[in-house]
Formats: sequence, structure tokens, C-alpha cells
Amino acid sequence: MSVSIKADTALIDNRRMSDQMYITLLVASVAIGLFLIASMLVPNFFQLQNMLNLVTNNWAVISLGVGVSFLLVSGNFDLSVGGIVALSGVLSVWFAQSIGGANALSSGLGLPYWLALLAALAGALAIGGLNALFVVKFRIPSIIVTLGTMMVARGIAQVITQGSQRNTNLPDDFGLLGSLKVFGTSIQLPVVFMAALLLVAIFIERKMLFGRLTYWIGANPTAARLSGIDNARHITYLYLFSSAIAGVVGILLSSEFQSGYSNRGMLMEFDALVIALLGGIAIAGGFGSVIGMFFGAIILAVVTSAATGLTLSPDWQFILKAVAVFLAIMAQTWALTRRNQ
Amino acid sequence: MFKSTTYNFSRTVPGQAALFLRNYYIYFVLIAVIAFLSLANLDRFELFERGNFLYEKNIINILRVSAPILVLAGAFTLLMVSGYIDLSVGSTMGLSAVIYAMLAINGVSFWAAFSITAVCGALLGAFNGLLVVRFKITPVIATLITLSLFKGIALLLVQDGVSAIKSMGDLRMPQWFNDYGREGVLMGLPMAFWVAVGVTVVLIVLQNRSLLGKYAAATGGNPTAAKLSGINTSMIVFVLYAIVGMSAALAGIARASFMSLGDPLSGDGMELTAILVVLIGGTAFSGGEGKVLRSFIGALIIMTLTLGMLTLVPAYYQTLVIGAVLLGAAASNHFISRKDHAS
Repeated sequence: MSVSIKADTALIDNRRMSDQMYITLLVASVAIGLFLIASMLVPNFFQLQNMLNLVTNNWAVISLGVGVSFLLVSGNFDLSVGGIVALSGVLSVWFAQSIGGANALSSGLGLPYWLALLAALAGALAIGGLNALFVVKFRIPSIIVTLGTMMVARGIAQVITQGSQRNTNLPDDFGLLGSLKVFGTSIQLPVVFMAALLLVAIFIERKMLFGRLTYWIGANPTAARLSGIDNARHITYLYLFSSAIAGVVGILLSSEFQSGYSNRGMLMEFDALVIALLGGIAIAGGFGSVIGMFFGAIILAVVTSAATGLTLSPDWQFILKAVAVFLAIMAQTWALTRRNQ
Repeated sequence: MFKSTTYNFSRTVPGQAALFLRNYYIYFVLIAVIAFLSLANLDRFELFERGNFLYEKNIINILRVSAPILVLAGAFTLLMVSGYIDLSVGSTMGLSAVIYAMLAINGVSFWAAFSITAVCGALLGAFNGLLVVRFKITPVIATLITLSLFKGIALLLVQDGVSAIKSMGDLRMPQWFNDYGREGVLMGLPMAFWVAVGVTVVLIVLQNRSLLGKYAAATGGNPTAAKLSGINTSMIVFVLYAIVGMSAALAGIARASFMSLGDPLSGDGMELTAILVVLIGGTAFSGGEGKVLRSFIGALIIMTLTLGMLTLVPAYYQTLVIGAVLLGAAASNHFISRKDHAS
């Protein structure tokens, strides 16, 4: 008896870092290491402004990554976020455009600005609800469902913009949100949104029941259900959150560019997935962290911007991305098996 | 679910109607789509007149354009039946199209260019297999990696400043390059279409009459059981990835011939179409079940629908319609397979 108790205390020994923390640290050090290597190779890379740019230029994908990460941890995909970005952006423009423009593309519904934004967000949430309905209720694999809703969301955006974009007849304050500077600095509102989102997400993930339940469900859905967790409701919330984030990103982007463009956010869903995977989130669920995802995004940003800095042809980006993901995945698997031998 | 399999064996046998529905619904869907499209414009055109859907040249054109997805659907089905997926098929197509066009424009003969490209495709597929089987990377991630990698290579092969390999200056595409995808050889249909039919027939035989087909289904149905009963599942999966790669190369050749250029991006989005087509054909996404022929019909449905739609609504409705069809197919798959658990 006493032996087994000893074994138990050894298992919950807090001095040993958790695997998750270990991987997160690994990803962070890879990101920093890559940054240092790039600084040596690329002139003017090692500058404070450049470090900031690596983060701020990627605010959209990092924000989307938060929702995608939570869903991945719970064992589900969300590939619809890119489509939702296009949809909510186009909707916000369409709703805000005043009635009676010169042609079909320049006349909208003429709602007040705040109402247009809320309605656009509702549109985004509807797609999230659709995801949840198909995944939770019909139990169709999430990768299929969210591929479908991605196309539906983008498809609706394309129908509204007739395959092009809407950018005329907008109210004067439409561009406000996307270009608002904070406290006289050069930091824009979208970046603040991303930072706040990250902090909230980390808090939820680490300190709140909701976050811990996500890991439970991802690690073993059956066990979670049998221990009284309402998996269905939890995953529904996660899809709604993810689509809400994507909706806000779409609205901010359309405000920044003062246009609703149906091809905006193209392939963003794959980038969000890739940074989450680079950040050490296991595709099988139950493992990973938002901090890891953030550093995954940094890895990708360093690789792509270093490639541009080395004046390689932009075609190299694809190959570098592939190599970076491959190495990151292999390193994580290798580190974990080595550690747990 | 457990109860019905344990206590009531008669309940696991589906009823006649359910069985019939499950086996043949795909043909009814195809007929329904064709009927809808041919009747939709009747107020303006006669049934077989130019402008209506059933006009002979229109049908030939649809089948010509469909050649790439038709040649790919069968192999993709076998891979999905074994429980794996390949998201890199679009990039493999693009890269193969570039390779084929480069060979053709530099004076290599048709058969040599064709076989070299097909072998290259098989190697690209084998590389996927290697990542999945040997390096044990999850199929979705592994093939996302190669999606990016192959696309990068294809883009690099095309020299800066041009978007695709095509006739330029002294370098001319040979005549056979375009004929393969466009010129009718039998019943007005080009080589590319008949190659697709041939590949599909071979794969149907492989699926129904060979160990590969049986083992693929076993691997998808229950990987552990398959492994324990002595099936070399790694080998099966590796071979299937190579076959998918080769089919993707043939698809790339068909598309390159039809457009008469080697466009590195010509396969973009093909992975979505392939998944869509296979799902419409009733293949279970979790593996273990699915038929090559049904995916072929599924491909015909999707191509008929997307091209036929163009006569009714503007092109920008396409994404929405395809997305809705994908969701609809996934949902009906779910209900049909649930029905034969229940009845």
C-alpha cells in the first residue's frame, strides 16, 4: 500500500515541469533562436521596431489562432475562420453602406454604424453555430464541417460583393476602428485587441474551470462525458467564441481597408492551424497552450520575413514554411519521446 | 449502439429499401441534377438544342473539363477508405503540370513526358507516405507540409516574371500537348477522359478483386485489428499514397493539356474538390467504407452541378453552392448511415 502512495506522490511532484510547459519553452527558445540566426544573416533585422512588427503584422492570424487553438485542444478543427473573416467584413460594409447608391455594389442597407457591426458579428456567430450544430449534433468530423462552412461563409461574401468588393458610399466614421491609434503611440487598436485576447485566453486556459475542461474533453471525450461534463455545450461555446473572434477580425480588417473584400482572409485558416501546430498543440487534442501558439506565430513570421529580407524570391516562402513546420513537429515529437523514456 | 450489436443481430441487417437507397442513391442524385439542369432552360431552348444542357457539345465539354477530378477521385477514395487523407493533391497537380509542360516544350516525346511525369507524381505521393508512415506525422499535418513544399518547388521551377510554362519565343508547345486534353479520339471525347475511365476501371478491379483493396478497407475499419492479423498496414498506406500521387500527376497532365500551359497553381483547391467528391460518393470520412465507382459518379455530379449552374446564376454563386452541397452531403451521409444502424 505504502509503495503505491509513494508512486502517487512522485507522479504529482510539482518540481518536475509539465510536458506542456516543456514544449512551450522549447517552441519559445526555437523562436528566439531563429530570430537571432536571422539577425545575423539579414541586415537591420535586430531592431526593436522589427521585433514589434513581427507581432503587429500578424495580429489577425494570431487572434484567429486563439480560437483555433482552444478548439484543437478540445480535439476539433476550425477551418472556417478565414471564410468568417471575409463574411463579417463584407457584411459590416454592406449593412453600413447607405441606401440608394449609384449601382448595386454601392448601395447597402444603411444601418447605423454600431448596428451594422453588431449585425455583422451576428452573421459570424451564425456560422459558428452552424459549425457547432453539425459537429455536436450530427457528429460529422469537424474538418469536413468547417471546410464546408468556410466555403459557405466565403460564398455568401462573394454573392454579396458579386465576387468583387464594396468600398463606396460608406459612412465617414467607418475607418475609425481599424486605424485608431492608442494613446498617441503607433500601436493600433487591432493590435491591442490581439494582446487583450491573448491575455484573456491565457487566463482562461490556466486559471479557469472552462479552460481546464477543454483539456479534459480533448484528452478523453468519453471519460469527460462519463464524469458529467457537458461536452456538447462546451464545444458549442468554443465554436461560437472562435467565430466571434474571426468576426471581430473581419470587421477590424474591413474598417482598416475601408472595404469589404470577399477574398480577404484567404488561407488564413491554414495559417492559424499551422501556427497552432508549430506552437506544440497536438492535433489529437488535450495538449498545447496559447502561449505556444503565439511563439509558433513568431517562428512563422521570422521565417517569412527573413526570407523577404534575404531577397529570396517570394516562392521560397512556401518551401521555408514547409521545412519550418516539418522541423518543429519532428523536434517536438523527438523531445517528448526522449523526455518520457 | 452497443446494445443493438450485442443483443439483436437481426437489427444490424438493413431493410431492403434502406440497402437499395444506400447502394444506388448516388445515381438518382446524378439523374436528378441532370434533369434539373436540362429542364431549367427549357423556356428558352429546345431539349437538345445549342444552349441547353443536353446539347451534345456541352456534354462533351463538361466531360473534358472533368477529366482531372475524374482521374483523381478513385485513388483518393482508396486512400480515404484506409483512413488517411492527402491535402497535397492540388500542389502535386500543379508541380506535375509544370514538369510535364517543361518536358513537352523542350522536345521530349509524348510517351516519355507522360511516363516521367507519372513517375514523378508517384514519387511525390511516396514522399507523403514516407512522412506519414516512417516519420509518423499525422496525415493532415504531413500533407499540409507537402502542400506548401510542392507548391514552392513548382513556383520556383517557373522562371521569374512569368506565371506559367507556355509557348514563348522559339519554344513552342507541340501540338499533341493540347490534343491530349481537347481533341476527341473516341465518341468525341479526348484521351484525358479515357485515361480517367481506364484508371477508374483499374482501381475498381483493384478494390474489389485484389488484396490491396481488401487490406485498405481493413486498415481503415480497424487499424489495430488489421495490424494484428498480419497486414502490413504501413506498406498498404505507403502504396496508396504513391497511387494518389500518380493519379494527381495524371490530373495535372490533363489540366495542363486542357489549358495548354504548365501553371504551378493549376491544382489549387483540388484537395477540397476531391474530398467533396469522395464524400458525395458516400465514403466514410473515418475510413473503412467507400467505393471507387461511387466517387467517380460523385465527381460527375459535382462537375455537372458547378458547370451547369453557370447557365443559371452568375459565377460568384459557385463557392456558396459547393459549400452547401458539401455540408448537405456530409449531413445526408450521416443520416443514411445512421438509418441502417437503426432499421
